[in-house]
Amino acid sequence: MSSMNEDKELVERTIKGDKEAFEMIIQKYQQPLLNYIGRTVGERELALDFTQEVFIKTYSSLHSYKPQYKFSTWLFKIASNFIIDYWRKKKIDAFSLDQQEQDNDLPPLQVPDKEPSIVTKFEISELRERIEQSLEKIPAPLREVFVWRHINEFSYEEMAEIKGLPVGTIKNRVFQARELIRKRLEEKA
Amino acid sequence: MKCLSIEQIYLCIEKELPLSENKKIEEHLATCRKCKNALEERRHLLQASENLPLWQTPPDFTQQVMARIFPIRVPLSAWLTAASAGFGSITLAIFILFLVTGQNFSSLLTSLNHSLWNFVRNFSPVFVKLFKVASLFVKTLQQFFEYIIKAFASLTTIISPQVQIIIITIAIILIAFSIYGIKRKIFIGEQA
Repeated sequence: MSSMNEDKELVERTIKGDKEAFEMIIQKYQQPLLNYIGRTVGERELALDFTQEVFIKTYSSLHSYKPQYKFSTWLFKIASNFIIDYWRKKKIDAFSLDQQEQDNDLPPLQVPDKEPSIVTKFEISELRERIEQSLEKIPAPLREVFVWRHINEFSYEEMAEIKGLPVGTIKNRVFQARELIRKRLEEKA
Repeated sequence: MKCLSIEQIYLCIEKELPLSENKKIEEHLATCRKCKNALEERRHLLQASENLPLWQTPPDFTQQVMARIFPIRVPLSAWLTAASAGFGSITLAIFILFLVTGQNFSSLLTSLNHSLWNFVRNFSPVFVKLFKVASLFVKTLQQFFEYIIKAFASLTTIISPQVQIIIITIAIILIAFSIYGIKRKIFIGEQA
């Protein structure tokens, strides 16, 4: 049984009152969700608490889930909205990415004539550590798509569905996130 | 072909470009050092990004979430059943006492009241002292009581209302007979 059909069956069983089915959903998605939420909020305890809240919200909204959509996409949409609410409360700008894209701080998506080789100077393990540190310093909406792409391993189409944005916009955000991380590495080197 | 954009470089690394475009890019990369370096730089970055360490959830995470979604609840009907059973049992106990002693209801209630009052009067000083001692242990025993309450709540959800009625009836009859027995003992003691 494919993962997608398995999820749909688990959702159906949960709606019919099978608690064990929802336990299986939690077991399957707790780590991907924690890694997404954890990387976006940055604090482990807060991330664990938020992950729990997302599962509770998911359970209470299961009746509104439409089986034609992928369950994981729907779950992450709930999580993403939860995070946006958190950013709003923390007064972190989650909405003016278009403005941020025009910001001079963001690197251009063209290869400069004299580009220094920064990344290739590091060993992979050291580079991972530096990427983690740089990830905390990039704008939250860019961090979100970076985590989805590289940690949750979502396709651009899945991310576009979660955010309700065109695939091209999502690709652009992911590339901006990578380039900004590279820029941060360049500053540190 | 002119030099690659960052977007083309990433799409090339991720094999997201159409085959025809991919071929052109490969040909360009074979001749352009700048684009080749830029591609290698980003390939290395993506390689490291794809293996970032994963955050682990605690082993009891699922249970924690399930406990928040499905807290142990004692249904109201169970408490109503228990209260009805208690009231019914007291009535039954009084009726049995009436049959055993042959007294009328009012004198039976009066004697029960007297017994209860004597019991309270004799034992209240002891109870006060015991209460004072017990209060010292309240804080340390708090956790224990929580477990007891949870266990009782679980029990009432497991045991059927009929069995609950039987258990409570038996308990009340036993208490009633104990009070009667104490009264008789006191009465015999007074006679002796």
